[in-house]
Order: sequence, then C-alpha cells, then structure tokens
Amino acid sequence: MTTVVNAPSAPAARRSRFANLRRAMLKAPGATLCAVIILAMFLYAFITPLVSQNPFEFAGMSVLDSFIPPMWMTDGVPDFPLGTDDQGRNLLTAMAYGMRTSIIVGFLSVIIGLLLGGSLGLVAGFVGGRVDAFIMRLADVQLAYPALLLAMIIDGAARAALGAERSVATAITIVVLSIGIAFWVQYARTIRSSVMIERDQDYVSAARITGRGNLSIIVLHILPNVMAPVLVIATINLGIAIITEATLSFLGIGIPVTSPSLGTLIRNGNNFLQSGEWWISVWPCLVLVLFVVSVNILGDHLRDVYNPRLKGRS
Amino acid sequence: MTTPLLDVRDLTVTINRDAGVVTALDKVSFFVNPGEVLGIVGESGAGKSITGAAIIDLLVAPLKRTGGTITLAGERLDTLSPKAMRAVRGGRIGFIFQDPMTSLNPVITIGRQLCDTIEAHLKTGGDKAKKMALEWIERVGLPNPDVQFKRYPHQLSGGMRQRIVIALALCANPALVIADEPTTALDVSVQAHILQLMRDLHRESKTSMMLITHDLGVIAKMADRVAVLYAGRVAEISPVGELFNAPRHPYTRGLIRATPMPFANGEVRLDQIPGAMPGLGKTPPGCAFNPRCFKVEGDCRAAVPPLTSRESSAFSCFHPLEKEIA
Amino acid sequence: MSAGDFLTLDHVSKVYRRNQGFLERLKKTDAGGTRAVSDVSLTVRHGETVGLVGESGCGKSTLARLVSGLMAPTSGEISFRKDAAGKAPRLQMIFQDPYSSLNGRWTIEDIIAEPIKVHRLRQGKAAIRARVDELLVQVGLSPADAEKYPQEFSGGQRQRICIARALAGEPEFLILDEPTSALDVSVQAQILNLLRDLQKNLHLTSLFITHNLSVVRIMADRIGVMYLGELVEEAPSEELFRRPRHPYTRLLIDAAPDMDTSDRSLHPIAGELPNPAFPPSGCRFHTRCPFAKDICRNTVPPQKTTEADGLYRCHFDLDLSNASIVPPSANVKTA
Repeated sequence: MTTVVNAPSAPAARRSRFANLRRAMLKAPGATLCAVIILAMFLYAFITPLVSQNPFEFAGMSVLDSFIPPMWMTDGVPDFPLGTDDQGRNLLTAMAYGMRTSIIVGFLSVIIGLLLGGSLGLVAGFVGGRVDAFIMRLADVQLAYPALLLAMIIDGAARAALGAERSVATAITIVVLSIGIAFWVQYARTIRSSVMIERDQDYVSAARITGRGNLSIIVLHILPNVMAPVLVIATINLGIAIITEATLSFLGIGIPVTSPSLGTLIRNGNNFLQSGEWWISVWPCLVLVLFVVSVNILGDHLRDVYNPRLKGRS
Repeated sequence: MTTPLLDVRDLTVTINRDAGVVTALDKVSFFVNPGEVLGIVGESGAGKSITGAAIIDLLVAPLKRTGGTITLAGERLDTLSPKAMRAVRGGRIGFIFQDPMTSLNPVITIGRQLCDTIEAHLKTGGDKAKKMALEWIERVGLPNPDVQFKRYPHQLSGGMRQRIVIALALCANPALVIADEPTTALDVSVQAHILQLMRDLHRESKTSMMLITHDLGVIAKMADRVAVLYAGRVAEISPVGELFNAPRHPYTRGLIRATPMPFANGEVRLDQIPGAMPGLGKTPPGCAFNPRCFKVEGDCRAAVPPLTSRESSAFSCFHPLEKEIA
Repeated sequence: MSAGDFLTLDHVSKVYRRNQGFLERLKKTDAGGTRAVSDVSLTVRHGETVGLVGESGCGKSTLARLVSGLMAPTSGEISFRKDAAGKAPRLQMIFQDPYSSLNGRWTIEDIIAEPIKVHRLRQGKAAIRARVDELLVQVGLSPADAEKYPQEFSGGQRQRICIARALAGEPEFLILDEPTSALDVSVQAQILNLLRDLQKNLHLTSLFITHNLSVVRIMADRIGVMYLGELVEEAPSEELFRRPRHPYTRLLIDAAPDMDTSDRSLHPIAGELPNPAFPPSGCRFHTRCPFAKDICRNTVPPQKTTEADGLYRCHFDLDLSNASIVPPSANVKTA
C-alpha cells in the first residue's frame, strides 16, 4: 500500500505545465542561470551579424588595426574591447560570427544524429528480431571507434569523393554530416529501449485492434511517448557536437577560415600564442567553454527532471 | 473484559509533500485481544497497510507517525528506540507481506533465513536452531524439509514462498502477527491453502493476528472481529457475524452489497456505491463518506462523527443503520 | 458455422517458442516451448456473452489476444461471421490495466475519437466532438472531461474512458480482458453494472475474461473454464454453477471464500498449479483431482457434450451438483 501513497502525483497536464516549469526554475537556480547564459549567447551570435560589417569579408578587414590587445592593456583602444587578430578583425564581432557558425553546425549535426539514430532506433525497437540485431550490432561496431576519429574518417572520405575545391556550404554540410553520423548510436539505443517498452503497452494494442497501421502507431502513439529522454540527450550532445566541430576545425579539416567557427578562431589564434598575442585564441576558448558547460549543466538538469526513476523524490 | 494484547489509540500518520502536510491516517483506534484475529478491511487508499506499517514502525518517508499511542502487552511501542523496535519486529510481532518475493532474501537459502530469525530472537543457535527451522518447514506443509532447507527462494513456487514467509513470521513465537494482504498475489486455489495453514497455525499457537485485506470473503472466513477503514479513519468495528449480517455503517453495507458472490439469488445486479473514495488530502469536511452516502444529512457535512460503541459494535456514523436491516 | 454463430474457434493452439541460442538454431533442434493455449474449440453466438475463467497460466489472456488478432495462433482457425460485403466485424478490446491502456500524451477527446476517425463513423470536427460528448455521458463522465488528460483520472474513471473508446468504434464484438481486476470493490460494482447496461442496450456480442467466477457469473451467458491451456468445461452460466461436470470447475467454485460467516470452512484444491510449460500427461488436472484414477494419468480425456448444451473433458460422468460430494482435500498438506 505504501506504493499507492508514494506513487508520483499525477503528472501535470497541459495547463499546469507552464506553472511546473516556473517552479522547476526556482528550484534549480544554477540550471536557470545556464539557460539565461545560453539565451544571451544565442542572441549575441545571431543579432551581431545583422548590425555589423562581416570581418571576414575583405571590406571588414584592416591590416592597420592588426594585433591590437584588449582595451585595458597598454596599446588597447576602446574601439576593439577584446582586441584584434592578425588581420585586424574586431574579436568581439568575429566571435559572434564564430559562435553563429558553431551553433548552426552543432544544431544541424544534432538534428542529423537524432533523425538517423532516432529512426534506426524506432525501427529496431518496433520491428525487433533480425532487423534489430543487425542495427544494434552496427551500433556496437561503431562504438568501437572514438566519435572524433569517426568524424575525421567520414570528413576525409567526403573530401576525397568531392575533391579538394569546395564551397563553404559544402564544407559545412560535410562537417554536419560527419558529426551527425558519429553520434547516432546514443539516440538509437535510447529510443530503441523506450520503444520496446511502449510497443507492448495496452494503448498500442488498442490502437492496433482499432485498425491503425504500423506507421501511424509509431508516429501518433509511440513517438510522443519516447521523445522526452531523447531530447535530454540531444541537449547534452549539442555541447559535444560543438566541441567536436571545434576540434575538427582546429585540426584544419572542418570549416574554412572564410566562414569561421569558434574552432577556426582558436586555431588561427594558436599561431600567435607563442608570440604573446594570447587574446586571439583565449577569448574564443573561453566562449566555447562557457557555452558548452552551460549546455551540459542544463542538459544534466533536464535529465534529472525527466528521469522517471527520480520522479517523486524531490 | 480481558486486557487487549495490542491497543492502538488515535494513531495518526501524515505525509509531507511539497504542497503541504496531508493526513493519511486520522486518529485510528482499535485493539486486538489475546488469541484473536482482527480483520482490517478497506479499499486501496483507505490506510489499512499504513496502519500495519505504523505499528511496527516501518513507515517509509514521506509517511510519518505524528500522534497516538501503541501499546503491546502493556508496553508502549511508539516511544521505543529504533534499536529496541528492531527486536520487537520479527520477535514479538511477526509480519507477513503481500509479495513473498520481497520479504525473502533472494541470495540466502530459506533454511539459513529461518535459522537467522530463530537465532536472533530466541537466543538459541547451532543444531538446535537448525532443528527448529526444519520443524517449521514441515509445519508449514513443505515436503522433504531437508531438501527445502538448502533451497533458494526463486526455486519455490509462489504458494511455497508464502508458506516460508509464514514460517519466518511465526518461528520466533510472536505474540502478534500482522498479515498484510497475505493471499492477494496468489491464485484462488492456492489462496485457500494458505488461509487454511494460517488458521491451523493460529489455532495451535494462540497467537493474535491482524489480518489486513481488501477481500471480504477472506475476512468472513478468517476474522473474529473486523475493523472497516475508509479514507484513513475507522468506519466501523464489529464482530464478524454482525458485520456481515447487520452492518451499522452505510459504507460497510455498501461494500458488502457491491461484492459479487457466486451464489447470489435472484437479482444479480450489484448494489453500487456512487463516486469514489476521496484521494489523499481531498477528504471532505465532516464524515469522509458523506458525498457517497444515501443517509447523508446536514450534520454529516458539519462534523466528523466520533467512533462510538453501541452493543458489541463501534462505528463512526451519526445515522447508523438499524440492526434489522441487513 | 451455423447461422447464429458469430465467432468460432476451431482447435486453436498457441505455442510460445523458447528463445534459442545461435548454436541451437544452427543445429536445428526443436525449441519446444509453452503451449499457452491447447486445442481450444469454442463458439460464440450472436448477441451472447461468453465468459472464460481460470487461474494464472491457464491461457485465458492469450486466447483473448488470439481472438483480437494481436497474435496469430500456431495452429487451428479463428473465424468471424462476415457481413454481406464479406467484411469482418469491427472489434474492440478493454484491458485489465487502466493505466497502460490510455496514451498519456493524448487528451480524452483524441483518445475516444480515434476509433471514430479510423473507421470514419462520423464526418467533420463538430460531429465527432458531439459523438465523444455523447459517449462520455453514456459511460458516466462529463463532456467537460474531454479536454483533460488520462493522468487526471482515477483507475475506475480511466476504465470508463476505455469503455467509451471501445464503444466509439461501434464494435460488433467486444473483448474484455479482466476489465475490473485492477479496481476496488465499490468501483468494480459500478463498472460491472455499466457494462451490463451497455450489453443489454447495445446487444453486444462479447468475450469476457476473468479469474473471478463471481464476476463472470454476473456478466456471461455461457462460461468456459480453462486449466493449463485447455478448455476443460463449457456450459450455460446457471448450469455451470448448478451442475458442474468437471471436478476442477466444482473445486474452483468452492475455493473462493464467500461471505457466509456461519460456515467458515475453507476448500483448497490439493497441490499447486503445475508449471504450464510442463503440463502433466493424460488429463492435465489429474495431479490435483480427488477422483483421479490410472486412466487419467495416461489417457487424454475425450471431449463430451451434455444435453444442456455444454461440453467437458473428463473420463467420468460425475455428479458434482453438491459441494459435499468432493472428498475433503484440506488435509492434503503437500504443496
């Protein structure tokens, strides 16, 4: 009988979801702060390019202003609060562009991974049997390779296939695909296990007896019930995807310098670290760390909130 | 009148929730005489299992006992230290839970588990404890005690496991056994076996018993007196014959008439009680049963009816049913 | 299939295969497996409710899933009467667990409207909503509940929603798999009464599965008793209770404690349920039967019919109309 008493009170429905969110935010000030930081960085990354000259186009550069240190150092000028790089780009503006690319690449690759892993996981969990065994063994094999190495292999293969000359759009597409493919396994595994639980629930049987086909059962009934844990993983993976992209770009196989990401900026600054111009790489590094840490803390918190096993304990 | 073995007065249990404190048991009082079987019956959420757990101090947070006294053979249990309470549990009070799998340790042989209990509470050990354990395995009706002694819980069927749980509950010669839904997880044919066994052992040992169940049939066959719980309060306590033949509380009668029985004569339509038991913290003012009661009047909504004794019954109702209405 | 027959099961069996390892599969050894349903033949006539009772492992729920089409039988045939256009009748099913049978992400309106939309029984948003409201009222809920989610309802209310959803499909055949087993007594009575009213008013043909003989007595016109995958007896409800032919039926009726406080005797059935994966030879009930003779251990009993339109599987023609005829088995202590 204690189970009856301890059972989590009925999960809130539509109307009270908003109130729940507000209460959850008050309960977790850390996660809320992270959400605010992420939002602020988003706005900065996407609004700055609308109001400023692109420093990576020829008109935005000014070699005369190169290597200016941050404004509080000797030789610093208030026009460039965080200093400039070797081409005289304003780092504060450059980082907005870098963040924008990083965020876009991060999101797109998470979506690719989610779509790929999600659909494979759905099929594996729903169909079961040999199809399931095949997909999951494939996942096991892929897990034997580090994700970064895998992304590099895919990136390299794509380059070999498409030739060295490629537009910015192609480069970004390749990076997005490599990272997305490198991370599908986690989504597939999570979705598969949730689907295997849901497909045996009586509401699915009821829909089947009513005459629903497999596809509409998956889309209408199962999918909405398995999405919550996957979205939590997606949040955490967003941080990992951005780091992976930065690593690829730092290694020079990611995004070209003409449309830089944070990784490209760090790589560029790395050339001048030894000669004392530390700010060129340190600022993008800090921004990257701040963003990824915020995303991870928020993701961890969401996982705790959505984990049914932890429910009702708070 | 004999002094009761177990005397529970105004037992109150609350639940601390984010939203505030909710009452799960509201001043529950009853007693169990020596050698008697007291049935505790109610629907889910009535608080019957919480009552059993509160007596042996096994409430799990957020449940908390916040009031009342519990006296076992003249000794207050509610003021005992957790350490002293551990000696009472399994010693002077044995218990039988609904799910035999959770009350047996899956990685220890049943013989060892019996010996441990006997050694801990009867201060004997070695061969003597083993001999007693073997005797108990035989007494609860398992064939080949020597073989069973070395077996693990998962090697037994559900009915056999429940027999071992009964042996564990009784092997320390407790004064009182609390059985919480002991046959609910079992099939009908096995249930009758377990009830028969409990009855036989009860008659042999003269142990008192609190039998908690939702099944009125089990109550009718096993209990001497019955306490009916509703929404965390005692609705009625009566000797078993009176409870079934002349219930005084409208809820008791509603519950009896709502139970389908195989040999009901004539009209097979069930009498239903409208509505449902209020959830925790949603108890209406006054009598908790008033929104569902056909005899409801103004005073039922105004005040909680106190548990009053009349003849051999006690009930908490301002407008009890007359004795001849059955 | 005769004119009045709505559903016939013809020697239906279902075997759950054991999962074989890779090497076993290579060797092509026979996996064996549990015969959950064994050679069951049963007819449900139009407008009739047939009840199936039995203890756990008797195969009653598997049979429900076979009839509903959620599972295919290993052998035998399940056939429904087809209409003039050759179409199979519409089915609906009500499940035991009112919590897992409603999709928690859907509103009550969407849940109840699903069968209406799938079968195109009403056209247009307003017509569907009107029908949902009508159904909610019919099962004792209010149209205002349509906006809510399942989490906001108690077990009994959820079962009402399940009934409304089943009725929304305007089924010609309804399968009820332990619909009240998860409910409390007072709520169970409400649901059983509701189902009985619906049966009467809508002339539903249905299969009612439960472990509770008292419940099935109220609900069914005819009752089948199952034991370890076999249908051991089938008869009109009154007849089954008045004059059971199979010892198991008699013992099952007596085993459930009633509310008579003047006779407090208990009637356990000797022994325990055998593992359904390894049923006893001959008559499957012989290990627990007080009448068992040598023939029961070796020979599978034939299926016999009675003049009262019933059938049973027993070697003997026992008169079991009185409980006292069965030898007392209470002193059989072995588990």
